[in-house]
Amino acid sequence: MTSKLKTVAGRLRAVWMLLLVGVVLSVTSPVFLTPTNLLNVALATSVAALLAAGQTYVIILAEIDLSVGSALGFSAVVTALTLGTYGLVPALAAGLATGAAIGLINGLLVTRTRMPSFIATLATMSVFAGLTLHITSGNPIPVTDYDFQGIGQARFAGVPVPVWIMLVAFGVFGFVLARTRFGRYVYATGDNVEAARLSGIRVHRVKILAFVISGVLASLAGFIITARLSTAQPTAGAGLELDAIAAVIIGGTSLAGGRGTLLGTLVGALVLGVIDNGMNLLDVSPFLQDVVKGLVILLAVFLDRNVDVLRRLLPRRAAETPARTPELAQHI
Amino acid sequence: MHLQLADVRKSFGDNSVLRGVSFDVGPGEVVALVGENGAGKSTLTRVISGAHQPDSGRLLIDGTPTVLKDPQAAMAQGIEVIYQEFQQNLFPHLSVAENMYVLDRERVFGRLFVSKQRMAAEAGRALRRLGMEIDVHRQVSELSVAERQMLEIAKAMTHELRLIILDEPTAALDEQESEQLFAQVNRLREAGVSVIYISHRLDEVFALSDRVVVLRDGRVTLDAPTGQLTPAQVVTAMVGDAVDDFYPKERNARDEVVLEVRGGNGARFHDIDLQVRAGEVVGIGGVVGCGRSDLLRALFGLQPLAGSVLVGGSAVRVASVEDAIGSRIAYLSPDRQAEGLCMSQSVEANVSLASLRAFSSAGGVVRRAKERAATGAVISDLRVRAASPSIAVSSLSGGNQQKALFAKWVMTRPRVLLMDEPTRGVDVGAKTEIYRIINQLTADGVAVLLVSSDLPELVAMSDRVVVMREGRLVAELTGDGLDEQSILKHALVGAA
Repeated sequence: MTSKLKTVAGRLRAVWMLLLVGVVLSVTSPVFLTPTNLLNVALATSVAALLAAGQTYVIILAEIDLSVGSALGFSAVVTALTLGTYGLVPALAAGLATGAAIGLINGLLVTRTRMPSFIATLATMSVFAGLTLHITSGNPIPVTDYDFQGIGQARFAGVPVPVWIMLVAFGVFGFVLARTRFGRYVYATGDNVEAARLSGIRVHRVKILAFVISGVLASLAGFIITARLSTAQPTAGAGLELDAIAAVIIGGTSLAGGRGTLLGTLVGALVLGVIDNGMNLLDVSPFLQDVVKGLVILLAVFLDRNVDVLRRLLPRRAAETPARTPELAQHI
Repeated sequence: MHLQLADVRKSFGDNSVLRGVSFDVGPGEVVALVGENGAGKSTLTRVISGAHQPDSGRLLIDGTPTVLKDPQAAMAQGIEVIYQEFQQNLFPHLSVAENMYVLDRERVFGRLFVSKQRMAAEAGRALRRLGMEIDVHRQVSELSVAERQMLEIAKAMTHELRLIILDEPTAALDEQESEQLFAQVNRLREAGVSVIYISHRLDEVFALSDRVVVLRDGRVTLDAPTGQLTPAQVVTAMVGDAVDDFYPKERNARDEVVLEVRGGNGARFHDIDLQVRAGEVVGIGGVVGCGRSDLLRALFGLQPLAGSVLVGGSAVRVASVEDAIGSRIAYLSPDRQAEGLCMSQSVEANVSLASLRAFSSAGGVVRRAKERAATGAVISDLRVRAASPSIAVSSLSGGNQQKALFAKWVMTRPRVLLMDEPTRGVDVGAKTEIYRIINQLTADGVAVLLVSSDLPELVAMSDRVVVMREGRLVAELTGDGLDEQSILKHALVGAA
């Protein structure tokens, strides 16, 4: 009973939070539950969710990628510049290649130089943010390609294209994580890198590939931002790495590595999106929004570490817990 | 100290761990406390050291009923616990001297600033009194496990020590270091300190203790002077029914040579020539540090190896772990926690980890049904007791974790299995099951290289033992010439 409850609480925790916030908002705001608003939430969530998807791989490996925001900005600028000269397909390819290259650099730094990923990606975050500003002189680059704008602005079957991109990316990468050999290797390596290595897993390759996935998803998120604004903003990604990490953590992935799911991350990203949306609907001061976000992260991590506390708050069913002496009850 | 436990009971929820434990420890007496994992030894240790409160029953110190409300209260009574290797109470970045006195409120070295010279001098004197040779200026992280243990004992003795509990103190020590520890225990006994000595190793128990107390399922099943007991009686008290086949060795060696090393050289072993036949278990004897563990690691691609390695008659490369696994060599690490298992992954995921290729499509998708069937078969074959294959491997007992580790390598269908300390930290019942697994493997023709510090195990389970000293093979023992004394003799001669 205990372990069962623990697993259920663990798996559903982020969902409970989403439901809780959802219920509060549907009561307090008449607009919240309308299809238009819900699609808006999904649309607004898509960018952070894509970054969080890649981040999930990295965090399950007990590493971290602080450079995703910078990777987004840099690849967005590369995409916009290529788009003006060479057209849509080369631009998309260049953008994705840029993201992959930044991921490769991060992966090589972490595996070959044995630098902690926090330091390595802090450095690349700074380098690529600076390069982006240098290339653009700090000016936004307008994007006029109609097809490209469609990535951010068009709808398919009534749903915005970025939401489709998000869903497909989570479907694909969720499948890879849960069902493929590579996914297993990610969990095993994050759990115990030595045991994984001694089982014949090329742990360096696994880590490098995870950073590459993170970089590629960052460039995909960069397409969406650029297309929505019809402009590549040099500072578009600034600070987004923290939203991504927050979504991963709220989604139940352990910073210690070895545990986590992409579905959890998606729910985590939606929790943050719904809170943002709700505070806008309720006219909460934008200054206070970050406060609330911070508190939500604290609550999520607190619940993660204190499932016992949660269990005590839940009503016990009498049938499952026979009478105990008070003495014994202390230890439960 | 005269410590008496009277009907001590302790439960955690529905789980009764101690069900009425009573025994005495007299001053200057060494009581060996033995029992399988889960018998209640750790809980009993925590009760005596004040970390747990008993639900009922009494604790008497020198005849006076005493409540030890926390570890500080126990320490004030002169009770100290030296835990197993991985949970030591030392500060790795401080020096030996600083560690000895950092928590000492009675001794102050200087009024305003601590005088490191005076502290070091005092620490040096204290260590010399105990016959320990440890440089007091060294940082604790640089000490060996044995030295750290000595330091812990020395630290305990800076206070008035009246009862000490040693929890599996020799688990990570080699023979020589163990001897030093035994000398230390004897010194404590002479000083009138009561000693509770917890160990899985019966040879130590018989060599060292005055009395043996066996715990099984939270009850004392045997309490008698050591001189009146035989090892078989102790084992019976531990596991419940008579174990006549403690080492169920089967001889399965065939003629065909499966593993051959010619002129093997590495950082810590030299000129190794070795053959292992199909179904044969070749034991490697020697003290820790003689190069035997390094040889196994090198054969598995974890250390550089010069010379040639042949599996089934053809030369193979073992430059990396992938090479070794590709040549169907498997390696059971001595450190299951650090190198063996991914503790928060499921039993099933751990068991299939090294052989996932066999269950995945060309695109790398794992075929779950196939995986479940194959791992399930091996899990039941090796009798890994898990509530379900999908629970975390960390929730299994030590013995079952070890069996899961075996299962992982059995899944790779190895021709050669390198085992380093395959029964370390495993209780007696599970040990026998692991020996049966070794039998199954050799019956299938697997060639086994076995490294073990447990000499009775090495002698009983090997068809042949080679002895290593300072990186070289110095003897080969078979048949009647294979016994513990001969192994020790060859392992130690020339060393001192």
